[in-house]
Amino acid sequence: MHLRSSPPPRADALAKATGAERYVLDFAPAECLSAGAYRPGAALNIAHGRVLGVDASAALAVPGVLRVLTAADVPGTNLQGIVHKDQPVLCGEVIRHAGDPVALVLAESAESLRRGLAALRADIEPLPGVFDPEAALKKDAPLVHPQHKGGNLLLGARIEKGDARAALKNAPVVVRGEFSTPMQEHAFLETQCGFARLLPDGVLDMTVSTQAPFRDRFEIGHALALNPFKIRIRAPYLGGGFGGKDGATVQCLLALAALNAAGRPVRMSWEREESILAGYKRHAVHLRYTLGAERDGTLLALSCRLTYDTGAYAHLGCEVMELGMEHAAGPYRVPHTHIEGRCVYTNNPIAGAFRGFGVAQVSPAFEGLMDALAAKLCLDPLELRRKNALLPGDENCSGVTLTSSVHLAECLDELAAHPLWTTRQAWRAAAPRFTRRGVGLAAVFNGMGYGRGLADMAIAKLELTEAGEFLVYNSVADMGQGNAAAFALLAAQELNQSLAENPGAVRLLQPDTERCHPSGSSSAGRTTYTFGNALLKACAAMREKLLARAAMALFVDETQALELAPGAVLHPASGRSLPLTALARFLKRDDRVCVGEFLMPVAQDPPDTGRAFQIGFPHLFFSYGAHLARIEVDELTGRVRVCDFLAATDGGRVLDRSCFDQQAQGGAAQGIGYALLEEFKTRGGLIQTADLSTCLIPTALDLPDIQSLAVDGHEPTGPRGLKGVGEVGLNGPAPALASALEDATGERLRDFPLTPERVLAALNKRRPPSRRRA
Amino acid sequence: MNVVFPRNMAALFKALDEPGARVLAGGTDLLVRLRSHPDSGPATLVGLDRLPALRGVAEDSGWEPGLGTKDGRGDGSPSESVGPGTLHRALRLGAATTHAELLAHPLIRARLPVLAQALADLGSPPIRNMGTLGGNICTASPAGDTLPPLLALGAEVELAAKTGTRRLPLASFLLGPGRTALKPGEVLAAVCVPVPGVDVRQHFEKVGRRDALAVAVVSLAALVRTGHGGKIVEAHLAWGSVGPTVWRCPEVEAALAGRKLSLTALTEAASIVRSQVQPIDDVRASADYRREVAGNLLLRLAMLE
Ligand SMILES: Cc1cc2nc3c(=O)[nH]c(=O)nc-3n(C[C@H](O)[C@H](O)[C@H](O)COP(=O)(O)OP(=O)(O)OC[C@H]3O[C@@H](n4cnc5c(N)ncnc54)[C@H](O)[C@@H]3O)c2cc1C
Repeated sequence: MHLRSSPPPRADALAKATGAERYVLDFAPAECLSAGAYRPGAALNIAHGRVLGVDASAALAVPGVLRVLTAADVPGTNLQGIVHKDQPVLCGEVIRHAGDPVALVLAESAESLRRGLAALRADIEPLPGVFDPEAALKKDAPLVHPQHKGGNLLLGARIEKGDARAALKNAPVVVRGEFSTPMQEHAFLETQCGFARLLPDGVLDMTVSTQAPFRDRFEIGHALALNPFKIRIRAPYLGGGFGGKDGATVQCLLALAALNAAGRPVRMSWEREESILAGYKRHAVHLRYTLGAERDGTLLALSCRLTYDTGAYAHLGCEVMELGMEHAAGPYRVPHTHIEGRCVYTNNPIAGAFRGFGVAQVSPAFEGLMDALAAKLCLDPLELRRKNALLPGDENCSGVTLTSSVHLAECLDELAAHPLWTTRQAWRAAAPRFTRRGVGLAAVFNGMGYGRGLADMAIAKLELTEAGEFLVYNSVADMGQGNAAAFALLAAQELNQSLAENPGAVRLLQPDTERCHPSGSSSAGRTTYTFGNALLKACAAMREKLLARAAMALFVDETQALELAPGAVLHPASGRSLPLTALARFLKRDDRVCVGEFLMPVAQDPPDTGRAFQIGFPHLFFSYGAHLARIEVDELTGRVRVCDFLAATDGGRVLDRSCFDQQAQGGAAQGIGYALLEEFKTRGGLIQTADLSTCLIPTALDLPDIQSLAVDGHEPTGPRGLKGVGEVGLNGPAPALASALEDATGERLRDFPLTPERVLAALNKRRPPSRRRA
Repeated sequence: MNVVFPRNMAALFKALDEPGARVLAGGTDLLVRLRSHPDSGPATLVGLDRLPALRGVAEDSGWEPGLGTKDGRGDGSPSESVGPGTLHRALRLGAATTHAELLAHPLIRARLPVLAQALADLGSPPIRNMGTLGGNICTASPAGDTLPPLLALGAEVELAAKTGTRRLPLASFLLGPGRTALKPGEVLAAVCVPVPGVDVRQHFEKVGRRDALAVAVVSLAALVRTGHGGKIVEAHLAWGSVGPTVWRCPEVEAALAGRKLSLTALTEAASIVRSQVQPIDDVRASADYRREVAGNLLLRLAMLE
């Protein structure tokens, strides 16, 4: 069944490389009006304040400005949010962070919109704010959401297994550490954008850069009192998402604008500064950890407390924290765990989903303590991990028995045998002048899917078109990770079509709530797994159907005698065949369509813990990875150069090696930025890294060639044995680089990112005072 | 907004006479500024692209010994007779020459490596393809990457106006952040750079928050002439991003003169730097970090030993 040797290029490669691919705004009609949000907090230096009034008179006098809408113009609940609905579309009473919008301007052109926004005035009275989760939990702290029952505590939760307290008390070896991980900006190439139009029949027709078109309808419907089934959303390829387009960005504002545009199309596109100001960030987290073990390194118990700063609104804060907690003890056998989490409201920018969803934050902590343990016991850090690595059938740290595929040990074996590891001593010793070298590693994992309590579902539709080609109705947005290409490849393989010879044999329709079937979001490493499984079912049904229909025309009694071949149904015994072009014309439209659905399995007999979580606990499937970093530290500046980076990944069976490698490399690259460079700074809730000259992400020169290794895994429930690999790659670099840095300098840094200032300070600690100030 | 591209100097000066006219070179600074202040923009942008007189690298016939500073001049010793550029005592770099053009020029690479290194670290390929040397100078940012090398080299600027041209040491041209001695109607025509002798070691290092597209946190340009036994005859040092303009420290230069180029001498010099320099905190780095690294960068010169 598997065709030819060399895989075809990604289905989207040529169009993207040549610039022919069309993104959201490329589809916007030229006569679009422009809509924009007025977010006065940043300019007024107010992150928390009472809205006393909005003066629109000067703005309305600007030629081309059509409407200025405020909270009073919002029908419905005026509340957005995926699970917790606490975020106003337009704020009428208070702004809770510096990027909160208080008005929406509708104008004839981008230029009149700009002038209109500049002419708006808001009267906002500053309120005392909270900018640190610990301070926010104090008794007299100002409240971000006074009506919330828990005060500023959005959610407190616990995952427990065994008796961690007792086990730690009796553990022969105990190591401790406090860590902090920073906010992170998604910095996708394409900022949040979309366009919309209210059609004469009352349908709101929207095209949005979104990771969740089907769910968006309900979020918009709830906020604006619209019938969700009268909202149509199309999601062309995204210019990046990484989690930052999961949940409402422009959606509700744009819908509100369209409702007030008298049927004219309206577009909204955030400037980069607005994207940084109002977009969701990765949660900053503070972590306090204790790990206990036997003298031989066998892990006994882990206890930790994680504090997630969710900023002004819940967004996916509880769910992000849930995932972090579920991964808090690392991919190891730990009999006793006590994991506490607090997700806290502050007046900081809103935190939400970001690749590595909560897990990227805990990885540096559990791996930091594994290194500490190895050092204390004089064990090889790789051996220590190998010894404790989860194996199939083990119970993980939240008490789930792993009936899914687990190949972490193989990932670690790949590192152990690799020259970058085996030659490390000699390499370290050959450090040039003013340079220290270090080698570090990390073992990480990442759950796949939504977890229990929220059906992780996809429905795939497949059509044999009149032209005899297959058309996949993709329901899960492709934000660049390549899932659409994977769907084309899966369908081509299952239908025995050759994309290399005929790239048009399988075509893709990108998500459109009107034409495709509802499926979950593009997130959680679930995209290819869930939709791919559904698609394989649709393909199998299609194959059966086409063979049965062709039997008639080919005068064959049994369908087993027939084969689906590229472009035709074939009767190998006689050599006769029926081209798909002919077969397609023979069938009615309804008959040329097959639908398949898939529901991700969940953990059976879930452990009786984590009760605070409404949804998402626990997960059953995980991808695993082991990362190795070789770095050079400059003694004079504290700058860290990543010389080599190796990522060994267990993502089940590999469907398309180049897509697989791209995910491993992209994840590692973003993780390297997170670990070393990306220092998102706020002061009193006001963003100091407000544009791309200060909000930095790595460039090509800042990254090494990232080597990606695939271990030979197989997840029996996955489409062709695969698991999602989109996120796990982000979790390794921070711990691996901190480990390498410790190897190079003798100091463990626990506050991220590992900036040159922090590194230089660490070097100075170790330097004899004479060298320091001489 | 109107954009014009004069084809000769007379047309340039005429265009600049119009009220609200502003020079546009590569636009990599100007257009960024206009984007954040769209309502205070000039009425007309006057492009320099099509003026051959402002582009290219040539021997500077106008260079008169004694007019410029003596910084880093060759001393005419026999060692000077080898290598490219021997014939050139000074180079005239057209102000509208792009960074990429300068970087690709064999004379710049061979004879002004301190400048070449700074150009190689400036921005990114697209920025170097658009941005010009004149733009970098007229922007007069304390973080402008070409400024420390040019000051260490003792460069002069050639300013052209309808009424004629004048020359100034670059150090007198740069008045403060964003401020220059440019008069209304005047353009920067060229930068004249004396070529150091081959016994002068040239070194540039920029510390940014990343390896491309980074504003300097600290930078150092150094020209060190050594004589017999590795003794330093003279050192010219200039730091970027540690003060409102490029920072020089005559005391350190004096302290190094006569010493052997060694880690010991450099370590002592570094401590003078740390006690004198007065950098500020900003979002990219703290003053303490800048102070420490401004000193540390000197130690790298030990690699030139
Ligand atoms: C993404 C990015 C990265 C950057 N990275 C760096 C970096 O790493 N290092 C660095 O130093 N700079 C950097 N810059 C700043 C900028 O690219 C440089 O300063 C560049 O040299 C400016 O040259 P330009 O020709 O583009 O100047 P323009 O923007 O055209 O002009 C700048 C100013 O100088 C005036 N001007 C220009 N030429 C003349 C002239 N001949 N006579 C009189 N006035 C003139 C203009 O009127 C304007 O006021 C960066 C800029 C960007 C956008």
